[in-house]
This record gives sequence, structure tokens and C-alpha cells, in this order.
Amino acid sequence: MAEATLAGRRPRRRPAWAGLAFSSPWIIGLVVFMAGPILVSLYYSFTEFNLFQSPRWVGLDNYATLLKDPKFLGSVFNTAYLAIIGVPLGLAFALLVALALNFPVKGQPLYRAIVYLPAIVPVVTASYLWRWVFNAQYGYLNQVLGSIGLPQPNWLADPMWTKPAVLVITWWGIGATAVIYLAALKQVPQQLYEAAAVDGANGWQRFWYVTWPALTPVTLFQLIMGVIAALQIFAPTYLLTQSRGNAANGGPGDSLLTYTMHLFHNAFVFLKMGQAAAMAWILFLVIGLLTSFILLTSRRWVHYGSE
Amino acid sequence: MSGPGQLSRRRFVGMGIAAAGLGGLAACSKGSSSSSGGGKVTLRFSYLWTGQEAKALEKVIKKFNQSQSKIVVKGVSNPDAQAQLAAMTGSKGAFDISDNFGSATGAWAEKGVIRSLDDYIKKDSFDLGDFTDSSMAQCRYKDQVYQLPIAVNNSALFYNKKLFAAAGVQKPPTTTSEWAEAIGKLTKTDSKGRLTQLGLAGTSGAGADYRLLGVTHGGKWYDNGKPTPEDPGNIAGANFYVENVIKKYGIKEIERFVSGFGDYQSPQNPFYQGKLAMVVDGEWQPSFIKEFAPDLDWGVVPVPYPDDRPELAKTNLVAPGTFFIPSNSQHPDEAWEFMKYLVSKEAMLSFTKALSNLPARKSLLQDPAYKSITNFDLFLDLLASKNATAIPSEPSLAQYTADLATADDKITRMTKTPAQAYAQVAKAAKSYG
Repeated sequence: MAEATLAGRRPRRRPAWAGLAFSSPWIIGLVVFMAGPILVSLYYSFTEFNLFQSPRWVGLDNYATLLKDPKFLGSVFNTAYLAIIGVPLGLAFALLVALALNFPVKGQPLYRAIVYLPAIVPVVTASYLWRWVFNAQYGYLNQVLGSIGLPQPNWLADPMWTKPAVLVITWWGIGATAVIYLAALKQVPQQLYEAAAVDGANGWQRFWYVTWPALTPVTLFQLIMGVIAALQIFAPTYLLTQSRGNAANGGPGDSLLTYTMHLFHNAFVFLKMGQAAAMAWILFLVIGLLTSFILLTSRRWVHYGSE
Repeated sequence: MSGPGQLSRRRFVGMGIAAAGLGGLAACSKGSSSSSGGGKVTLRFSYLWTGQEAKALEKVIKKFNQSQSKIVVKGVSNPDAQAQLAAMTGSKGAFDISDNFGSATGAWAEKGVIRSLDDYIKKDSFDLGDFTDSSMAQCRYKDQVYQLPIAVNNSALFYNKKLFAAAGVQKPPTTTSEWAEAIGKLTKTDSKGRLTQLGLAGTSGAGADYRLLGVTHGGKWYDNGKPTPEDPGNIAGANFYVENVIKKYGIKEIERFVSGFGDYQSPQNPFYQGKLAMVVDGEWQPSFIKEFAPDLDWGVVPVPYPDDRPELAKTNLVAPGTFFIPSNSQHPDEAWEFMKYLVSKEAMLSFTKALSNLPARKSLLQDPAYKSITNFDLFLDLLASKNATAIPSEPSLAQYTADLATADDKITRMTKTPAQAYAQVAKAAKSYG
């Protein structure tokens, strides 16, 4: 039989087309639905294009216009604010939560489930819910703040407080990050803690010299994902500001006009697809650069176990 | 005051949620077979209205279908403006006729998104003379007609009679000095200096409808197709509100007070609750009040004019809801036949009456059918006034509106004076192209 004879022979090189054929659904998908549109968007970024008429080549005009657009610069500031303050604090909160969940107490699985729960609430639902919580006069948050004698900011109307409000919304869904940290905590070898205890290390020293180094690879991963997510933040700010029809609204004082929201307005409200494409490419490059930068610095602070 | 751009709020109730899906682009539905049996052409009519208004429109559609042997109209309520736009790209449209606002005319006409109706109008000798001038103004772009109006919005000054009597204000204001005085008398604070009642504010925010205040002070937002945000009238209009409300009571305190306002479309509306003694709002309010606050003792007058400019009395901004045929309509001829019916006196009356919106036809402004709506005659009268005007529908309007909204916000927050804020818009407007 064929199988018997084949088994003894050196495997013949199969023609490449078979492999290509089998992976063609993915390849076609990539080329037609991903790579194609991405490249076309690069072309559009050098054109004036309104979706309905053929694009007109304008060279670097879109990029030059953006740099002079106060709303573009404002959106960069707003997004940087959310990323620079939101991501590190978010990671710190998630880590604290994970450490707390790691305490051997009764009912631990229940607490873990509770912490993770908000992460499965759809962002649209959550944002609308928070709109109520943040209401300056009737919102629960200000009622709590007022009852303990703290100031009650006008969260969603005062440009100074809108971004902190968004950060609170994003931190609410921190359970996913905390769960990953929790898994990493479980991986820290027990004998290291025992050795540290023998050496007389206190709680902080055990965390700083044993736990934290072991968590750095996971932190690197979460940091990169967090930065990428923060730079693309759209849904909560859009939902907090959108009140009617197809109008561009950036919240009070444009304080919630994030980068992707300005991109969206350019594309679908002002029908300036060229400018929107330019914005998308700038964002793409910035994310690439930031990710490389974080990876480069990671050699200094990320410790991989030497096994 | 409802902020820039007067849109019927009812029409957009479902819209936030629809937009929240963010999948709007993908939502453009493929129309089913475009022609059905019996030789009838199926016309696909996608509209932004929802709920009660959609029901009123379906009635109109039903009547049209009964009268027809050649066309069957299939109506679909789709309040997602993004989906509407997406459906108009490409060569085969997902619908043959749809609705939007006059404010879209310029941007769409310039990009070839919608059809010019001029040939049809000429062919049928269709009479445009009966449509109010201010409504038609937003339907034209470069001397061609692209849309036809049906339900029109404008606004006026609502006041709470009980609060007026309690404050000893004998009659509603007609001039801006009377208005300023009334605002002062009708604003109340408690012993801690906290606002308990405001003479005037926006319907749901601290800012005013600065577009309207601009024109009631003799301003213009466009002149010959060029944005003119720095028109002295526009600046005077914003200054009126800043001087008499924002500066007087403090933006922080106003914002705190305003943040406690209940939902606009509910019995908790601050005007119904007596938290706001006066508010500039639209012609749909009479029926809203009937529904949500039937016991409210209220009146409505034109927005006051500056004392030294009586010729500006009854100035109001008109925003028409409109019908258009997209360039990629599969059955434009049939769509035109249906559009003629939609804006006919019969259909317009039945639809606008159901919505408590204003009819776009002059011949309907005196129609007794509207008598049953309390105080509606004032809005009809304003629409008939020679001072009824509309913001021209230029291609740059969406961006101009967004930039003006940013400026309005600075004005309300007093980070910029009206003159400074609108000077910034004038600078940005140079790049609209």
C-alpha cells in the first residue's frame, strides 16, 4: 500500500501551493480586509477625500493642517493626559487589588469574581451608568463625597474634572488587569519567600525584592497594552459627550475630545477622510514608537526568571 | 435654549443609543428586491424619525400607497445618521429617498451626494412659492434646489406665569432691557447664596442658544457664503447672556444649579419644575408641556429685541426638516413622485400636526387644524414673519458649527469674551476651504 512505502521514505517536499491553499482564507482576509485598506488609507492621507468624490492629491497638506489645528493639539493633550496619568495609576490599582485578592481568606473566589465583574459589563452600559453616578447634584458619588465632607466637583460639566471622571470609568473595569496580575502572583516561587524570610526580610522588602521582579514581565505586557488602549480611547468619552445627531461635540471646553474622537469627527462629521487617515497614520506611528521605546527600556527593569 | 442648531429633540431621542452602537457603518441595511410583482416599483424610504413620529409618517405612507397603482413605498425607521451617510456611498443606494435637515444641503450638494431637484421642478412646473422663504433658504445651494421642507422648527421665549406673578413682573419682556430686568427679578437664592431659581438659562445646560441670540441682535453667521462670526450683532447677543446671567450669578454656581436639572423630556424638566422662570425653546414644547406638565401656567412670546432696534422684533431662526433623493437612488423618478406627496398640503398638515412641528407651507400657517395646540399660533406667526431667517446651508456648516460650539463653551465659562472667542473662530474659518 501507498502508506507503507511512504513511511520508509524521506518525506518529499510538498508543493508550496497546497500550504498556501490551506491558509488562503486567512491570507485573503489579511490582504483584502486588512493590508489593502491600511495601504489605501496611507494613500488617502495624502489626498483630499470626502467619501463621495474621487480623492485629490494634496501631498503633505493634511499633516501640515493638523499641526496648525488647535483641536488636534487639544486632542493630543487630552489623550496624553489620559495615558500618562491613567495607565500607571491603573496598573498600580490593579496590582493592589491583586495583592489584596491574594490574601488567603475565606470566600476568596467570590471576591475575585466580584472584582472581575465590572470588566464584563459592556462599555456602553457602563458609561451611561456612570453618567448618572457623576451627576453633580443627584449622583451617588457626590452624595458620598458630601457626606464625608469632601468637595463635590461638577464632574461632567467642569473641564477640570471630566478627564478624571473618564479615568474612574476606565479603572472601574480594572478587574481584567487584576486577574492577570493575580495569576502572575501565583507563579512566584514560594521558596524565594521562604529564603527571604530566613534572611529576615520584612514585608516591603519581600515585595520589592521578590514579588515585584517576578511581576515585571507581566507589567511590561500590561503597560504596552494599557498605553495602546489609552491612546485609542473612544467609547467612554464619545458616550459622555454625544447628545444628539451627527454633530461634533468634544465635551465642556473640548476637554473630552480625545485623539480618536477628533479623528472620528474629521472622518464622519466633517467628511474629511484625508485628514482622518493622516491622523490614523500619525497614531499608528506614535504607538509603534512608544511600544519600541517601552521595549527598549524594559531591559533595565524587566526581570525574566533564569530557568 | 438648546445650544447651537435647533433640532427637534424628539427626533433624536433614539439617536444617541443608535450611535452608541458605533457599528453604524455596518448597519446600512441592504434593501430587499427593489421592484416587486404586479409591475409596481418598490420605493425604499429610510427615515430618521422614530417612535410616535415614525407612526405619524407611516400613516402618510399608507395613504400614499392606497392612492397608487405604480409605486409601493416601504418605510424603514433608522435614526442612525451615520448609517444614512454610509448608505449613500457606492453606486447602489440602500434607499431611494430619505430625510435630514436643511443644514445638510450645502455639504451634500457640493459633494454630489444628493440630487438636484431642479429638472423635476421644471418638468412638473412644481410651485415652490408656497414654501416659506426661510425654509427654502436652507434647501438651496448655488441657486439649485436639493431638498424640500416639511416640518419646521423655530423657537421663542417661554415663561412661567406663576413665577412672574410671584416676582411682581406684570408682563413678559418685549425688549432686551425688560428681559434683563425680568431675569434679575426672577432669579432667587437661598440664605447661603445658593441659586434656587434662575430667571433664564439653557434648557439643559448653562449656555444659551448663541446662534439665535446673535440674529435677534441683528447679527449674521454667514455673509455671501463666508462665515462672519465676528458680526457685531453676534457678539452683542452673546454679551447679553454673559452680562445678565453668567457674570451676575457666577458660572460655578450656575453650573451646580444646572447640573441638578432633570431630563429634558420628562416631568422633571427644569422649566416645568419652576427652577427656570424663562427658557428659549422650540415649537414642540406646547405638546410636551401638555404631556408632561399639564398644570403648568405658562406663556410664550417672541425672543425680545434690542430697545433701539424695534425693526428686529419677531426675529427667529428656522430649521426645516427636509426630504432628499440620494444620488445613488435606484428609482429617483418615483422618489420625486413620492416626495411631491410628502410635502403636499394634505400630508404636511397631517404629519406636522401629529409632531406639533410647524408646516413649511405658507398656506398652512393659518390652518385652523393647529388651533388645538396651545399657543402654537405664536410660532406660526414667527415663521410667517419677515424676520424669520435661517443659517445658510454652506458646505462648511458642520465644521463651523463645531468651532462655534467650542467658542460658545468658552463664552459660557468666561474663559474668553464673546469678541475673543468669535475672533478665534474667524481665524479657524479661513481654512474651511
